[in-house]
Amino acid sequence: MIFNSEFSGQQQHTTQPIVTGGSVIALAYKGGVVVGADTLCSYGSMADFKNVEKIAQVSKNTIYVSSGEFSDFQQVVRELAKIDRSALQYDDGVHPSPRDYGNYLARLSYKRRCKINPLYLQNVIAGFHNGERYLGLVDIYGTYLESNFVTTGFASYFCKAIISNYWNENCTLDQAKQVIRECFKVLFCRDCRAHDVIQLAYVDEQGTHIEQPERVETKWDFSGFKNRANEKLHTQ
Amino acid sequence: MLKHLYDTDCVTWSPQGKLFQVEYAMEAVKQGSICLGLKSNENVVLCSLKRQPSELAGYQEKQFKIDDHMAIAIAGLTADARVLCKYMRTECLEYKYTYESHHPVGRLVFKVAEKSQHKTQSGAKRPYGVGLLVAGIDPNGVHLFETCPSGNYYEYKCQAIGSRSQAARTYFESWFHLFEKSTLEQLILHGLSALKKAIMEDEELNERNVEVGILGKNQKFVHLNAQELKDYIAKLETFNANTQIQQE
Repeated sequence: MIFNSEFSGQQQHTTQPIVTGGSVIALAYKGGVVVGADTLCSYGSMADFKNVEKIAQVSKNTIYVSSGEFSDFQQVVRELAKIDRSALQYDDGVHPSPRDYGNYLARLSYKRRCKINPLYLQNVIAGFHNGERYLGLVDIYGTYLESNFVTTGFASYFCKAIISNYWNENCTLDQAKQVIRECFKVLFCRDCRAHDVIQLAYVDEQGTHIEQPERVETKWDFSGFKNRANEKLHTQ
Repeated sequence: MLKHLYDTDCVTWSPQGKLFQVEYAMEAVKQGSICLGLKSNENVVLCSLKRQPSELAGYQEKQFKIDDHMAIAIAGLTADARVLCKYMRTECLEYKYTYESHHPVGRLVFKVAEKSQHKTQSGAKRPYGVGLLVAGIDPNGVHLFETCPSGNYYEYKCQAIGSRSQAARTYFESWFHLFEKSTLEQLILHGLSALKKAIMEDEELNERNVEVGILGKNQKFVHLNAQELKDYIAKLETFNANTQIQQE
């Protein structure tokens, strides 16, 4: 028998993600926070699972999404939901705030990074608590940042310029949503692992609202495509 | 208290349904010197009478800071109190490390109560011989809890435990309806007035044997220093409990 050492009983270390989720973009607006993510999980370069609703509600006023290894994302959702549920046993009505979740995830990620077995994720935690909006980013190393806008994955390269130009922290919900839709249009055009169906969710004073997935408008009926001007040149 | 049958250990019930070892532990709390606490909508104040083992000795501290937002006053076995204090401080630190926020007060008291109950259900252990008054502020509001060696805990508007605490409780019963809206200064003066009711005839309150700790929504836990104590004790002479103002 040949034992492949990769599959022996030893502890494995995550070296590469297998099933991955795409970029996440989150913006604060006047009165809350809105988060957008596409509904694709890629298996390498294959667009394998095309209608995955990724935005997880971990408590009444907190939502969580991440890009990266999807199984790690699912495990983190379980861990965070565990905290909220175990709060019930104390009978005191005190629930973790969004910031508590953000810090907890940062400690978790850092611990895994120190064991050289990371949670292969860039995480976004968004919420609204005590009249204050909250938006936090935790990366694969356990770095913790709070900010008014947050992007993960390719969005960090393509979308920051769009966000700078068209968004400010006191815009309306619809304005912020529109900026996120524009960003995902650009991502669909330029990021090979992006998808044109996205899901938006926002948290405000009333609680969390996770919307149905929607398709971003993209334009493919350019005359160049329709008339195939390039091809004519080559065949003539 | 007379000796009873069925009181050898914690794992023996009496026919009347009592655990005598636990009750004896509560006696240890009643023998400790008095400490009391009272709260308003914004602040909690802890007042204690410190004991001096001999003239050569210092006074035994009775109030300990657990975290910026929480403090305890103890009555009973100081050594046992130290163990619980260390436990509470460690829990607060770990919570802060994980969540970057303050440990909810009720939750920590619950943990202490569970720890205390554990000691009442074993043949080889004895209950903690100390009662705590836990003052704390958290998102749920302003809190004052009492813990017992039995593992029970209660939330109070004001409470006094230890030696001659009934006199202080009687004072509270008359005036506690005013505390909710009292200012910090009025709360301190009420606390010291209650403390005064509980001292012996030949004793007096002074800045050496009194300990006052204050906690507020915008006030981290802090002890009053000797000068402040002197001033407040002096103000006691002219403090009218009903109107809560200084009379001339």
